[in-house]
Amino acid sequence: MDKRLKQQYSFDSLNVQSKTSKPIAKNVRGIFKNSTFQYLLFGAILIVLLLVSVKTPYLPYSWYGGLISTACFSIASIGFCLLMGYSGMASLGTGGFIGIGCYSVYYVMTLSGLSFFLAILVAILIAIIIGVIVGFISLRIESIYLVILTLGLSEILRNVYRVLSDSINIGRVEIFGMKILTADTMYIIVPILVIIMIVTKNLISSPTGRAMLAMKNSTAAAQAMGISVLKYRLMAFIICTVYASISGTMLILRNGSATASSGTSFYALITSLNILAAVIIGGYKSIWGAIFGTFVMYGMNTTILQNISFLSEHPELVTIISGVLVIVVVMFYPGGLAQLLQGFKGKISKLLLKIREAKYGKDLG
Amino acid sequence: MAKTSVNSKIGEFFYSPASHLIKLRKELQWAIAEKQTLKDVYEEEKYKKLTAIKSKYDNLLAKPAFKACDKVEYADKVMADKLQAFDLKQYMQHRAVNHALTKAIFKAIKKGESYQSAIEKHQLQFKKVVAQREEFVKKLQKEKQDFLLKYNTKDCTEYDQLLAKLKDDYQQKEKEINLKINEKISARSKKLDDKIACLEQKIANVKTKIKHTVTLEKDVLLSVKGLKQYFGGLKAVDDLTFNVKKGEIFGLIGPNGAGKTTVFNCITRFYDATGGDMYFENKYGEVVNMRDFKVHDVILQGISRTFQNVELVKEVSVLENLLVACTREYQSNFWIHALGLPIVQKEDKILKAKAMNILKFMGIENYAGWYAMGLPYGILKKVEIARALMSDAKLIIMDEPAAGLNDSETAELTEIIKKIRDQFNVTILLVEHDMGLVMNVCDTVCAISFGQLLAIGTPEEVQKNKAVQEAYLGVEEE
Repeated sequence: MDKRLKQQYSFDSLNVQSKTSKPIAKNVRGIFKNSTFQYLLFGAILIVLLLVSVKTPYLPYSWYGGLISTACFSIASIGFCLLMGYSGMASLGTGGFIGIGCYSVYYVMTLSGLSFFLAILVAILIAIIIGVIVGFISLRIESIYLVILTLGLSEILRNVYRVLSDSINIGRVEIFGMKILTADTMYIIVPILVIIMIVTKNLISSPTGRAMLAMKNSTAAAQAMGISVLKYRLMAFIICTVYASISGTMLILRNGSATASSGTSFYALITSLNILAAVIIGGYKSIWGAIFGTFVMYGMNTTILQNISFLSEHPELVTIISGVLVIVVVMFYPGGLAQLLQGFKGKISKLLLKIREAKYGKDLG
Repeated sequence: MAKTSVNSKIGEFFYSPASHLIKLRKELQWAIAEKQTLKDVYEEEKYKKLTAIKSKYDNLLAKPAFKACDKVEYADKVMADKLQAFDLKQYMQHRAVNHALTKAIFKAIKKGESYQSAIEKHQLQFKKVVAQREEFVKKLQKEKQDFLLKYNTKDCTEYDQLLAKLKDDYQQKEKEINLKINEKISARSKKLDDKIACLEQKIANVKTKIKHTVTLEKDVLLSVKGLKQYFGGLKAVDDLTFNVKKGEIFGLIGPNGAGKTTVFNCITRFYDATGGDMYFENKYGEVVNMRDFKVHDVILQGISRTFQNVELVKEVSVLENLLVACTREYQSNFWIHALGLPIVQKEDKILKAKAMNILKFMGIENYAGWYAMGLPYGILKKVEIARALMSDAKLIIMDEPAAGLNDSETAELTEIIKKIRDQFNVTILLVEHDMGLVMNVCDTVCAISFGQLLAIGTPEEVQKNKAVQEAYLGVEEE
């Protein structure tokens, strides 16, 4: 009904609602602000980019490798993000935890011949056991000592892998009778990444996330409020190890083989350090930040820097660039690139206000 | 929930009546909460349904209403709306012109030139703006005349007929909806009643498995008996005994290092006391020994505390800080949180309403959405007290509530502490150095020194006590 006639001719003219229906543009904006939708959209865009790089000449093929390894390692970084940003603990054991995933897949699939998804379940179970052990230790040991302890644990795990079987090779995995080629692994990896993002976001904004934050800020206050430190520390470590383990299963799915003794293998110390750097660059309290940081550490080299002719001639400069980036971020944006982005938003709105004032003068009152 | 005998310890590993009781009570609490809000929830549903029907009717009535309305009035309204929108647009133009003039004049004055030309230019532009408006008004008037030529009839019959018909229809539908909602309410409330009765029965059954042998004296809430806390050779608290009565404000005073905070930490189980017992009548009217509980289970018995240095979560809002105190009250578990099921939001909504009420009571509801980081210290202290109120505690322990506050804030705090005691029906136990606050607010004061009791009584009695004076001022030398 015409709004001018409502006062007099509406059906229930005594209480006419002044609220008009929302314009469509506003509704659309509301959907875009929904985090679950954002993550799904992100997954869709990632798959499109990967398809473009594989099937068409518009993007070089090197993009596929960079983006897919970003997606794999992002799962581990998100878990680390939860551990560091929300529970206030750090670990250098990510590399070792990634190995759990690789080796469970290898043993479950080659020795017992079970399916890939069952192998993931086994990987999760073993990761939970390791997470419980580290979680119990974290009750007694804190901060930097815990970091060193997890570093030692990671090296022990790596040596165990070396003794078990130095190099593993599972070839191309078969799922439901279909062989998964390297180019098709994205249909498994990207959906799992999106699911992990959604679950993590749900946890962060739930009472569990609040309890973890309370524990990080003050253990005493958290305990007085009925939060069991044992329970939530265990939870944080289990989530971290399980995510890293899933990340390992995805990596072995993509690569098909891995070697424990080489310095650049997935479960070497360098992986743990790279993930730590990724989370610090991206911002240790933001899921988007963790993914972007992982891209900087794992994907930027093959996607962008190698296509610049100067840098491809001097590959040693690439490491220097990422090192400088870490220093700059830690010095100026301790909250990571997520903080940088937030600051950028504020600056834009300030600029708009300034332009407005230059034209119309200051707002009165 | 007293400790059962050693024989049943293995059994306790598989089934502990205490934790079972906690679970049952949580369920009962949520069932009661749902029963209380049942009517509001369905009322909302009913309101939504009715408004949907009404808006449907409005759409049906749109055409007849246009036929029935007074066309001259309608045209006037349309004209006024359009003119208003135009004026809003022109206002910004006007401002830009004025701002340009001001800038030009300032510039001319700075250079020492005359600004006559700027004013002339401004007047020219201003005239242009006025002319634009006149033109627009003329256009609108022409539109109005055209409109009136096109539609000049007024026909109410169709509208009246349709309205009468719809009104009958509406009454019928309203009756139907009411009936349906009432049925739903009665069915659900019956289910809830059954559930509550069942739970109460279960709780009574479990209670019989736990023996409570200790009874407290009349009106006593907390009884500390022979409390000892040794750190190596240091006797921080040595054989301390006192009783806290229900509904009083109990102050614990003493010189620095007297062991006041240690007593608090023993009661809230941060320290495992070397010896002695602390009997407490909990939320459910049972007398329990606090030594049987772990530190994070103390809040479930009805003891909550604040800290000397504000210990809030700085990265979340004030409202969410209050929700942290309710972590144990959520029925949903980790898996439900991970999947993000709507139950969590439902529970959040109920608890947020409760938190807002408490913030309103403390007079800081405006800060609900603010981040705790960067708020003034006085506000943070209030937020901490509000957080202690969230868990429906029976005993609130305040560790130096006035530390770091100025005089006016301390005076306000005195009022707040008294108000909390009266309104929430709680007992307050506080440690304080500010003697003014203690003497103003406390009903009973207990003075300790080197972990031993010096005096207990009303503030005046304790003030006159010689041992207390000596402890504070030192012994007079002759």
